[in-house]
Amino acid sequence: MNQNKQLLMIDDDPDFVEGIKSILDSAGYSVDVTYNPKDGLQALKEKTYDLLLLDIMMGRGAEGIMIARKLRKDPKLREMPLLIITGIREQMAFLFPGEPVHPRFVAVDELVEKPVDPKLLLEKVSALISLSEARKSKAG
Amino acid sequence: MASKTSFSSEVANLLHAAEGSPLQTCIQCGTCSGSCPVVKYMDQTPRRIIGMINAGMKDDVLKTNTFWYCASCYQCTVRCPSGIDIAEAMYALKRYTMWKSQYKEGLIGPTFSETFVKTIVRSGRSYEPLLAPTYIFSYGIREFFSEALNATNLMLKGRIPILPPRIKRLENFKRMIAHIIPIGGTE
Repeated sequence: MNQNKQLLMIDDDPDFVEGIKSILDSAGYSVDVTYNPKDGLQALKEKTYDLLLLDIMMGRGAEGIMIARKLRKDPKLREMPLLIITGIREQMAFLFPGEPVHPRFVAVDELVEKPVDPKLLLEKVSALISLSEARKSKAG
Repeated sequence: MASKTSFSSEVANLLHAAEGSPLQTCIQCGTCSGSCPVVKYMDQTPRRIIGMINAGMKDDVLKTNTFWYCASCYQCTVRCPSGIDIAEAMYALKRYTMWKSQYKEGLIGPTFSETFVKTIVRSGRSYEPLLAPTYIFSYGIREFFSEALNATNLMLKGRIPILPPRIKRLENFKRMIAHIIPIGGTE
């Protein structure tokens, strides 16, 4: 059932990408990976994806947020479900020790923090995809 | 997965939005090292760092103090005949090690930057008496006292405020920060 689901992952950490990709691959998803926001946006323009997995801290800083905001303004890409996977709390811990990431800082569908539990990841991914499909069939 | 990204492409990904040419275009002329005012304090010169990144010597690059000693004067960037933004590459390496907490022990840079950003986020202004402890203990006794004396004199003349300064409308500023960094704020 997962065979024809196309996922895109934008994350600059190759080790993390490898781990997540192997989890998703074994669950039968086909995952494309880009390592920087520029290539990521390009890939989104060229192909239609069922879900986007997005990192926050990339390039010059919190560029993942910029992508998320851009997507929400795009009439076509707005419909695509978005799963933010971030280690931002760890990376910014010196600034705000122990404080939570605000969950709705941009209208994302879900946010999970690194490190990610494989079971939770797969649950969220399939939930998000089926939710967006339900939404689509309702509209259509 | 096709192939794991090399260290040089990891650095290139960090620099994806920079103006300069990619590091691979470096011709190893040494202009950057020759123009660098702080090169005598570095383990490896900027030219060698670029060469090492291109050769994929990740561990050796992360072990050096070069990018933490960069004074960001941009002399190398301005002079580079290949148009590489070397100062930006140094910043990229700083971010890389900070995000992964892989920086060398005993450096002043990371603690100094953290304290600086913390004071800015809390009050909107930098406050020297909080920044000084991050580096002053690495000084010798004589330098320590001359620095302390200087600071006291500046304070007596009113050049360093006794209480930490704050900007007006601090709440607005904090909301702006929370908009960029989605933690700890009140969005």
